[in-house]
Amino acid sequence: MQKTTGTIFAAPMLMMMLLFFLAPLGVLAVFSVLGPDGEVSLANYRTFLADDFAVGVLFDTILLGAKVVATVTLLGLPIALLYWHSGPGLRGLILIATLLPMLTSNVVRTFAWIVILGRNGPISQSLVELGLSSRPISLLFTETGLVMALTQIELPLLVLPLIAVLSQADRRLIDASEVLGAGRWRSFLTVLLPMLTPAIFAGWVLVFASATTSYVTQSVIGGARLIYMPRFVYREVGILFQWPMAAAISFLLLISTGIVMLGLTMLARHRRLAAYA
Amino acid sequence: MKRTNSRSGFLAIAASSLVVLSMAGSVQAENSGSVVAAVFPGSWEDAYRTVVAPIVTEAGFDITISPVLAQDQVGKMMASGGKPPYDALLVSPGQTAMLKAAGLIEEIDPSKLKNWDLLIDSAKTPYGPSVTVEVNGIAYNPETVPKPTGYADLFANPAFEGRVAWIGFGSNTATMAWTEIAKINGGGADNMQPVFDLLAKNLNKIGAIATSGNAQMTMYQQGEIDVFMASTGNVARLRSLGLPADFAHPKTGSPAVPVTIHMAKGASDPDAVYAYMDAAISTTVQAQLAEAPTGYIPTNSQVPFTDIILQFVTPEQLDNAVFPDWETIGIHRAEWTAEFDRVVAK
Repeated sequence: MQKTTGTIFAAPMLMMMLLFFLAPLGVLAVFSVLGPDGEVSLANYRTFLADDFAVGVLFDTILLGAKVVATVTLLGLPIALLYWHSGPGLRGLILIATLLPMLTSNVVRTFAWIVILGRNGPISQSLVELGLSSRPISLLFTETGLVMALTQIELPLLVLPLIAVLSQADRRLIDASEVLGAGRWRSFLTVLLPMLTPAIFAGWVLVFASATTSYVTQSVIGGARLIYMPRFVYREVGILFQWPMAAAISFLLLISTGIVMLGLTMLARHRRLAAYA
Repeated sequence: MKRTNSRSGFLAIAASSLVVLSMAGSVQAENSGSVVAAVFPGSWEDAYRTVVAPIVTEAGFDITISPVLAQDQVGKMMASGGKPPYDALLVSPGQTAMLKAAGLIEEIDPSKLKNWDLLIDSAKTPYGPSVTVEVNGIAYNPETVPKPTGYADLFANPAFEGRVAWIGFGSNTATMAWTEIAKINGGGADNMQPVFDLLAKNLNKIGAIATSGNAQMTMYQQGEIDVFMASTGNVARLRSLGLPADFAHPKTGSPAVPVTIHMAKGASDPDAVYAYMDAAISTTVQAQLAEAPTGYIPTNSQVPFTDIILQFVTPEQLDNAVFPDWETIGIHRAEWTAEFDRVVAK
């Protein structure tokens, strides 16, 4: 009986999903297999996959997502561990510092990065002052700059799940591990990391999905010479007006990122990894 | 328990129905006696919100200013399936040709515009009044680079190495510049290959390739670039922000482009659109927009060129302006856009 009540309460959400996500997705799927004369064909997919440049853009997009996931992990894991080892004051500060960027618009954050990465920005000036560069340099419109900006923007998506897991974690497990003779690194790798694995995978899925589809940041920080799938879709829709092709590209992006995310999810649910959680 | 379920179900359905009905009601209210006007983002949006909108409201109509790039207006109109997202569009001839071909705009009745007769002849088009003529050229920072003599100078003179920003064929301003550069190098509106060859040869000397005109303005403000293809209005805007900026007329002629308001086919309230058009071409509005920071060249014959306009362009220079062949450009624009991406991609 409780199950029935639950279904009723979930009905509005399911209805919303059906109306505003699945139905448009279905329309997009139909569009993607429409040929120039309205006939059903896979020509759009074939055209895209036969074009080395287009496939290169797809590959670059996935690679960008992987790079951002890597940098977010390298930065996010120590932040989460610092949170775990801190007192209430520092914990509050870390939490605010993590959440604060999420309260500002993605567009505003992206434009702030223009100042940071620019020729007259703090990074360039610091490099010159430290004697590491003889003249001001700009990281704008470079992949390094883009990965830096996306790392900061996506960081909360990994740090928050990690903090959520660590808040529930029993510190005595680490103590027990050390009492039994394990060093700090071994305790981290064999006790803490397995506990964090589901949260890490969940964060990776979110970061990867967000980084690969972040049109604004990719366009503003990456410029016109770094072409990724979202801009490729926008170009087909807004400039070339090739909607069936845009729909096919969107689906290919969805399928590609979907495969990566599915892989990560399956890994997170793997018997051996999940057993630790 | 069964009764509880029925009650919950009833309440859920009733609440959903109320939400749907209230949404439908609000949409209906918005569409009555109102105009949704698409305007370019940035200085155009600011100007139309503060100067034009109050006059439309005074005339008894509600107005919503919606910031959208010209090419995006066409895209959204094409995607609307006969239910236009905008009642009035603001575009250049390149987009007008597309909208006309797709049957998305309609001819207007000039007798419904009381300021129509005040317009200069070239601003009276069957599909709506032109509200300004944008003169395009080269914006540059006089404190950091010399005055460019023309487009060719930007590629040949080492002083501009790493300081010039360009954009692709999605932008009208860029498309006009590329067309002129093609002419200089033996091509034209039907042959853009010399431009792609030139770009491929000089990619390492280019300061930046941005995704939009607004991105270029931001980069100029941040000192990332010192030169970009711009309209006189862009330079006036930069000056109003206290930045050193000058406008250079290319020696091959400055490309000019009228900006026109169109009525969308299926506009919810044509009278509201006429009130909006009439406000935009009125002497009061055009006189105000001819001043800083916008400095828009007036199409209302009673409004003189202001000092800010005369700093950039004289009536004689306007007479000698180059008006691109938008029909030919429209035919090739898609292929040029795709090719541009291939040439510049890292």
